[in-house]
Amino acid sequence: MKKTLPKYYPLIPVFAAYLIMFLVGFSIPGMWQMVALLAFYCALGQSWNIFMGMTGYVDFGYVTFIALGTYGMSLGITYLSQYEWLGIGIIVIGFILALFLASLSALLEAFIALRLRGAYFAIACIGINEGLRYLIEGAKFWGGSEGLIFFGALVQALGRETVNQLTTFWADFSVFIIAALAAFLNMHYMRSKIGYALTAVREDEDAAKVMGINANKYKTIAFLTSGWLGAAVGAMAWGLKLGYVYPGDVFVIHYTVECIVVVLLGGAGTLLGPVIGGLIYGLSKYWLAVIMPGFQLLIFAPIIIIIIVVAPEGVVGLLKSKLKGTKLEMFIE
Amino acid sequence: MIFQLLVGNLTHGLLLGGVYGVATMGLSLIFGVINVVNVGHGQFIMVGAFVALTMFTALGLSPVIAIPVALVLGMALGFFFFYTVMRRLIKAPELTSLLATFAMGILLEEIAKLIFGADFRGYNWAVGKITLPITTIPMSKVYAFVGSIVIALFLYFWFSKTRLGTAMRAVIEDNEGARVCGVNVGWIYALSFAIGIGLTVMSGVLLTMFIPVGINPYMGGRYTLKAFVIAVLGGLTSPYGAFFAGLIFGLIENGAYTLFAQIPGVAPFPLTVSLAFWMLFFLLLVKPTGLLGK
Repeated sequence: MKKTLPKYYPLIPVFAAYLIMFLVGFSIPGMWQMVALLAFYCALGQSWNIFMGMTGYVDFGYVTFIALGTYGMSLGITYLSQYEWLGIGIIVIGFILALFLASLSALLEAFIALRLRGAYFAIACIGINEGLRYLIEGAKFWGGSEGLIFFGALVQALGRETVNQLTTFWADFSVFIIAALAAFLNMHYMRSKIGYALTAVREDEDAAKVMGINANKYKTIAFLTSGWLGAAVGAMAWGLKLGYVYPGDVFVIHYTVECIVVVLLGGAGTLLGPVIGGLIYGLSKYWLAVIMPGFQLLIFAPIIIIIIVVAPEGVVGLLKSKLKGTKLEMFIE
Repeated sequence: MIFQLLVGNLTHGLLLGGVYGVATMGLSLIFGVINVVNVGHGQFIMVGAFVALTMFTALGLSPVIAIPVALVLGMALGFFFFYTVMRRLIKAPELTSLLATFAMGILLEEIAKLIFGADFRGYNWAVGKITLPITTIPMSKVYAFVGSIVIALFLYFWFSKTRLGTAMRAVIEDNEGARVCGVNVGWIYALSFAIGIGLTVMSGVLLTMFIPVGINPYMGGRYTLKAFVIAVLGGLTSPYGAFFAGLIFGLIENGAYTLFAQIPGVAPFPLTVSLAFWMLFFLLLVKPTGLLGK
């Protein structure tokens, strides 16, 4: 029986993986950038997976959250860096702004998610993503298509030394924290009322509603959580780290697809999946960029297709069936 | 003055709308029959554009000949992708089919880049122009419009008069029922996917008349998104609906552009694109069955 399993054991391998990644990056010179990239993919996969894994909805416009997170941080820094007394507070405000913008868009999309299913939901989310991108470019707010460039303002407000530390260490470090937090929340949801409720909804929505489960409430919670985490990654790994934002750079469907690839490689709807997927995807992308620059996509596309056809349950799916009945089973979820 | 401009642009919009219609019929057909949203749709349009470009510049053949070539090539691609990939994904969750079709699109983009390079190219099929009191229209655009009408009519007869076409409609309506009535559903899946892709590649040839220097391996993504809007406008599962929605979309797009251009301080082109997506969003909320749906 599942219920007799200790609650949070499956988190151990996930946290262990993040800790090893962090230590490798921290202690071996020259590894930090690569480890930060891996953490970025793991965090995004993990955050995307929360909503998909629990509800079965495919949010093809997920990059909207990452982009709005980037904009939240960028707007905060651009417009508040003139107030010197705020100090490091502008980053805190930027972060809050990121979460706020993501909440607005998540509520808007959740509004559709509660009505539409399957392909319609995926298309609607793509629509919102593109609609926002071109609205920013067309109506010329938030800097329009020229974007916001605020690295200079940041340096002026906080000093070169602090900014250096922020962009080269703390921005990446926070991605690790977000990744771990995403894993924890995912586990926590799976093992609490919301997880059971959403499982019931996924199996048979009408029956669940008759039993008195408020499907809409739980779907919205899962969606908001997923959106916040994505926005947090965007705010730190793109906004704070890069010091600029262009609409054409951030509202790009390819990033959603990268999330999906990460999740699918590792195992959709599993806890360990995004970590394994993020490592495989990040490492192979990094490696291909070194050995044959410019041909990564040409090699990736057929590999993705083959994996979908041959092993749609991902690495964790294979692992689970291998470990079934052994002691290790309780560590894999 | 503005009125004249509007009418002139709407005329161009209508002509382009016909091509949009054909470019979306394939998406709707594939979604209707095998319930898969082809996220790599636009990349097949790109293939068609390169077929027209290559035949015109390398062989000196007119786009009229490129149309059947594109259809055959598209159907071959369709059968290939169906039997290697899509067949296994029909019953799978959306996650896999969305990702698979997106990956197909990327594959086509990268192959096209390998062969043709990433530069913007184009060709000029000079077949004269007609001068109306309000605007001047190149004949190539008129031919493209006529071509799209012919293709739409052809498809109409295919669906209503032939056995295979009727069987396809039956599968769209009720998969199980069609199977019970003796329709070979597996073959209908394959054929529909191939025809859907064939139509899409063919529409790429027609589209080249409207983009004089816009042919590029990465041109497809934009048309995928437009096709989504049009398909939803037409009801998503109905190829005819898609054709009429294409006409409407062409009119709205050019009309809105003309009006937005009058507003100072905004960028009219992105604003028009944006409008299309808010329209999509609104439609999905209010009437997911499309404008022409029941």
